[in-house]
Amino acid sequence: MSQTVFAPWENPEEEPLIRFRNVTKRFGDFTAIDDLTLDIYTREFFALLGPSGCGKTTMMRMLAGFEAPSDGTILLSGQDIAPIPPNRRAVNMMFQSYALFPHLSVWENIAFGLKRESQDREAIAARVEEMLRLTRLTKFAKRKPHQISGGQRQRVALARSLAKAPKLLLLDEPLGALDKKLREQTQFELMDIQEKTGTTFVIVTHDQEEAMTVASRVAVMDEGKLIQVATPDVIYEAPSSVYVADFIGDVNIVEGRGTREGERIRLDWAEGQPPIWGTPRGALSTDRAVYFAIRPEKVSISKEKPADRRNMLEGEVVDIAYLGNISTYHVQLANGQMMKAQTANTRRLANRDITWEDRVWLSFTETAGILLEH
Amino acid sequence: MRRLFLIAVPYIWLLALFLVPFAIVLKIALSDIALAIPPYTPTLDLSEGWAGIRAFLSGLDFENFVFLTTDDLYWRAYLSSLKIAAVATVITLLIGYPIAYAMARAAPEWRPTLLMLVILPFWTSFLIRVYSWMGILSSEGVLNQFLMALGLIDTPLQILSTNTAVYIGIVYTYLPFMILPIYATLEKMDDSLLEAAEDLGCSRLEAFWLVTIPLSKGGIIAGCFLVFIPTIGEFVIPSLLGGSDTLMIGKVLWEEFFSNRDWPVASAVAIILLMILIVPIVLFQRNEQKAREAEG
Repeated sequence: MSQTVFAPWENPEEEPLIRFRNVTKRFGDFTAIDDLTLDIYTREFFALLGPSGCGKTTMMRMLAGFEAPSDGTILLSGQDIAPIPPNRRAVNMMFQSYALFPHLSVWENIAFGLKRESQDREAIAARVEEMLRLTRLTKFAKRKPHQISGGQRQRVALARSLAKAPKLLLLDEPLGALDKKLREQTQFELMDIQEKTGTTFVIVTHDQEEAMTVASRVAVMDEGKLIQVATPDVIYEAPSSVYVADFIGDVNIVEGRGTREGERIRLDWAEGQPPIWGTPRGALSTDRAVYFAIRPEKVSISKEKPADRRNMLEGEVVDIAYLGNISTYHVQLANGQMMKAQTANTRRLANRDITWEDRVWLSFTETAGILLEH
Repeated sequence: MRRLFLIAVPYIWLLALFLVPFAIVLKIALSDIALAIPPYTPTLDLSEGWAGIRAFLSGLDFENFVFLTTDDLYWRAYLSSLKIAAVATVITLLIGYPIAYAMARAAPEWRPTLLMLVILPFWTSFLIRVYSWMGILSSEGVLNQFLMALGLIDTPLQILSTNTAVYIGIVYTYLPFMILPIYATLEKMDDSLLEAAEDLGCSRLEAFWLVTIPLSKGGIIAGCFLVFIPTIGEFVIPSLLGGSDTLMIGKVLWEEFFSNRDWPVASAVAIILLMILIVPIVLFQRNEQKAREAEG
């Protein structure tokens, strides 16, 4: 049985849940969001990723209703949400600080939103119990926020924002306050809960690993603009620009002049260095500066000159970063260019044959890297 | 040894400045009035040894406390003080809370200035500030002249020497004690809590009522006690701004002491006043401790 891939953004008939249409947001002279257009679909787990100050939090606050766009419209299920105040939107938000009410118990915190719209005590109690079960908090229902751990507080915040069954849940750096181990575990819990409830999630984060793990699509932002919107694998394997390639993960970037030769592009990039051969994706204007980007794990490192690779570069190991499962070798080429190569440590450390100041060969296939124009 | 010394300092302080004076006042309260210096008997004469001490102790009785119950002036004065203090506290809260709220919501660069403005009156003598209220409120005072100039009234309003003037004086004097603790709790409050309340379906007003007020409860309680406790024993304000019908226990105490020169009865009044004040003071301490525990 083949599983259908969840990709509503590829279906032109699918109606987006949220549409940003030429949205601009200015604070005085500062333009936080610059003429931005974006569609987000129902049941998506959408990540807004970028450095601090890139406008991702402003986008989220506009969705929640705490900021109004200066120009353009935001549609939720086809309806312009600008005139709707935050307390009337079918949108809930999980705050970065969690914003749990310190004077209320866990139970009362979760019930807070429900009590605003319904007087039916039994319905509220049933919904709160359901949320407590979903987030495994039943035991802590009577405690106050300051009497539980950070991870539990995070789950209370999630339960509280999910209790009203919003069409859209906004998560502002939801895992920022947790330590690494707990964060990784919680990422899977979030995905699980998102799947169970079928709610559309929009998450804001500056942690690229987090975005890659949880999201169905990632939007990389910089200075109020979307740089690339794509699935995590496309963002990683086929970044649209040097900025994205550099922002997501580790990358070697070489600048040079490209010349088309049949199927391939020949990149002349330094005196005395052999050209790099790459495969262009789509049209690439030749005879101008292009960038060649390759991930360190796609670069092989060996002491002997490999026989069958098109691209080979010789250099000297200057640094080794040992991370346990993998090692990253920093190799200096004859012209001073630094290149990183990564290998999985499948053998024990003592058996490693490459060490500092060794002459080594770096090699990669013609399709391993990517050519970028900017 | 060091620890013992550290603990001893506050206890010696308490002993010297509270317990010893209290014992002296209690002793006077148990004595009888006399035309002498000091104006009460018995006095302790240690030169006669044991007999002197025995004579001294036999001279003490509860006569003055019994006297306080026979004349309804005293318990009416106590009740009236409690009432004035309670009403003044409520008025101070109603005026102080909005001020504290506005200060906490003001732009951060303005807050030190606003805080300064609240504290500034303390730099002038309290007595001078009360006297200046006499100048404002009297029949020929600034307020009446202003209202008459505007044509709002024909004859001057009688404000000075009434309870109204006493309330104005108390609220004016104790307002900073209400504002400061409330401001302290409001300023600490995380704004995202209000956004969260709105996000969960509250209107602004509901969010204020369900989040801001409960979270500033500690400050409200502290402010109320800080106004209520000293107001009960207040003497200067009722005697300068109040009239002959303003009945407050501080004024009664002063009259017993200086007009009647009846130190024993005055002392008995003071002892009872202390007993009444202990209740709110203990409650206040408990509130402060609870607030500290919640924070810790």
